[in-house]
Amino acid sequence: MADANPQTPVGDGHADDIVVNSLYAKAAKIYPREVHGLFARLRVLGVLGLLGIYYITPWLQWDGHQALLLDLPARKFHIFFITLWPQDFIYLAVLLIISGLTLFFVTALAGRVWCGYACPQTVWTEAFTWIERKVEGDRMRQQKLDAQPMNVRKFRIKATKHLLWAAFAGWTGYTFVGYFTPIIELGQRTLTFDLGPWETFWVIFYGFATYGNAGWMREQVCKYMCPYARFQGAMFDRDTLIVSYIEARGEPRGSRKRSVDPGALGLGDCIDCTICVQVCPTGIDIRDGLQYECIACSACIDACDDVMEKMGYEKGLIKYTTENSMEGKQTHIVRPRIVVYALILAGIMGLFAYSFSTRVALGLDVIRDRNQLYRETEEGLIENVYILKVLNMDDVAHRFNLQVSGVPGMQMYMDLPEIRVASGDVLELPVRLRVDEAELHARSTHIRFDLVAEDDDKLAAAEEARFLGPQ
Amino acid sequence: MSDRQIPKSQKCIAVLWPSFLVAIIATGLFFSAFDPEELYPFGEDTGVSRLGIYSIGFLCFWLISTISGIGTLYFAITNCMARDRDNPGQ
Repeated sequence: MADANPQTPVGDGHADDIVVNSLYAKAAKIYPREVHGLFARLRVLGVLGLLGIYYITPWLQWDGHQALLLDLPARKFHIFFITLWPQDFIYLAVLLIISGLTLFFVTALAGRVWCGYACPQTVWTEAFTWIERKVEGDRMRQQKLDAQPMNVRKFRIKATKHLLWAAFAGWTGYTFVGYFTPIIELGQRTLTFDLGPWETFWVIFYGFATYGNAGWMREQVCKYMCPYARFQGAMFDRDTLIVSYIEARGEPRGSRKRSVDPGALGLGDCIDCTICVQVCPTGIDIRDGLQYECIACSACIDACDDVMEKMGYEKGLIKYTTENSMEGKQTHIVRPRIVVYALILAGIMGLFAYSFSTRVALGLDVIRDRNQLYRETEEGLIENVYILKVLNMDDVAHRFNLQVSGVPGMQMYMDLPEIRVASGDVLELPVRLRVDEAELHARSTHIRFDLVAEDDDKLAAAEEARFLGPQ
Repeated sequence: MSDRQIPKSQKCIAVLWPSFLVAIIATGLFFSAFDPEELYPFGEDTGVSRLGIYSIGFLCFWLISTISGIGTLYFAITNCMARDRDNPGQ
């Protein structure tokens, strides 16, 4: 129930103004009250799990290297037993598309669970709020402290909080850089004050971003900066899970004594204690209906259930529900939107899995020597020169066999005794081809290079090229 | 809506944040295709490490998209101001 100010004239232009003004109004600081309950426990579990994954992963080792290392300086990504090269960029792009579609699918099904439980903004804000609560005390104490003029005690408390925040944020930035530079080596170089300028820059940059976003900006990131918060509504339908206040049951709201029967007073179940507003990290009143600021963290569900229990009423005045369910209709989990999202998602995932499992860890490029089109040798043969670039993307070194086809009796000369390429190396191989002029029937003839690893038939690549002659 | 009604901080975020996201995408695309060690800007060898080139590249992309964002914001605001001036009753 939006309380419209009766004094505000409602016209087109004015309606716009009101919305804009309230959107950009100077935000009052929000002091979310601590919550306990089922969903709060789930969120803490999610937060601990995700933070754990984030801080521990770079320290894991696999087969003698860092298990997850996006080695930008060496231009290769190690993901456990997989090594990705710049040529594999498409896989990362598709992986991002899959993540996006998964988010759409989950949103259509379960609403903004991402926002409430898994978004880094939520996760780090939760951690920062926890530190704040440990240092400054609960909501009331925090408000009291902020209302005081600066004094020694206030300064000490605030300084402690910011130092702890800065340390945590610094460690976060350090871990972030550890995904791109080997973290153990990074640690050793930090201890000997030998950190490169750009590594230092990124540790500070990411640390500062964490400190600012989780310490200061908080819900404003969700309200003003998050693109997902703006468009997630498009994935919603009447069967999507939302956090909602059951207006029919709660209204008319009003305070009453525990012993009094609300029916006798003509009241609904909402006792107007405003605890649901106090716990809200984005500072909204869920009783005003579904709002885009709501990140579905369900803190208000826990808080209200607690109050309902104390009052001896049934729980679930605020609960996870769907619009259909609130109107007494049936909620459908399987519906066209879900089926379509699921089919697209499954299709792309299948293609990705197929393409990735049949990926050949060998790259072959053929470049014609640009200096001359062709040369006639002393024996009267026509010679073309090529540079072959062989990229071994496998984890071990290989020796390769090269064959060429396209013109009968073609002779191949290489300057190297064998084609041996170490793991991750690119070999530049000059190759000279000679043919009898009689075999050429046009100025340009298609030829084909075939490269196969000696120890593995499947590690093969082929590349077409042109052979130029005088005709 | 005149530009004075939007706080400076909001304007900064509205410009810097989307251009930051665009810069990440541009950096990823650009350096997937080009190895910094094979780039010779203005025919010079940079002598900067790959990580340095990535970082400088990212900051350059951010700067360019920021300029574009400032342009968008400027035109959006001046258009609104012109509309307000032409229709003072609104």
